[in-house]
Amino acid sequence: MVDPSPEPPSTPPVGRLRIALFAGMAAAADRRSIDIPWDGGTAAMLRERLARELPAVAALAARSAVAGGDAYLSDDAFIAPGAEVAVIPPVSGG
Amino acid sequence: MSHAGPAEPPPLLTWEPIDTTGVLASVADRAAGANVLFTGTTRGVTDGLATRRLVYEAHEPLARSLLVRLRDEAAGRFGLVACAVTHRLGSVGVGEVSVAVAASAPHRREAFAAAEWLMERIKREVPIWKAEEGRDGVLDWLHPEPVPPHGAPPP
Repeated sequence: MVDPSPEPPSTPPVGRLRIALFAGMAAAADRRSIDIPWDGGTAAMLRERLARELPAVAALAARSAVAGGDAYLSDDAFIAPGAEVAVIPPVSGG
Repeated sequence: MSHAGPAEPPPLLTWEPIDTTGVLASVADRAAGANVLFTGTTRGVTDGLATRRLVYEAHEPLARSLLVRLRDEAAGRFGLVACAVTHRLGSVGVGEVSVAVAASAPHRREAFAAAEWLMERIKREVPIWKAEEGRDGVLDWLHPEPVPPHGAPPP
């Protein structure tokens, strides 16, 4: 169940969040995404939470960006439960 | 304005070999006097170590969105007539093209500068990753320093 709304919910939900993982993070975690309990918080908090939930990706998470939909999020951007998010480790295209 | 019939713009992301001639043709225009094509290819040797192939993956919606934004920004910033970019995903063998950028402008200086600027920004900001396949077949994903921006990419 995905709620794409960026608005914080009016009542405290017992929410979850699915975080998409890529490249070395997906390889280290041996999975393409992880669901975590999430009642809302900032992108910076999400990075810290991911590091706790998946210690194998902690080092990469610390130097990753967070994306919501098709845009990078600033560290203080609010992420609602059910939002569509991804953690973006340092890129190496080209 | 294209006299030979407009060439299709290349896909921003593709799993197929890149048609570099098509990428260059897509920026052709009667208003252009300079046409630059850059291609990035898989090196067979990096730091003395043999590479068999590279494997690329992307956060596709974000990568597409940023590629469009950077391409359009390059066109405006350098006064280009046209600009095109395409990046390959999946397995890319030694010597094959992983990325192509084409820029056309009235004069060459702007076209060269735009291609260089665009490649620099792509490599720094667009969520695409490469892995080197080692002799054991294990993929070594590359996550180089410096870190990507926490939050918004640099202006």
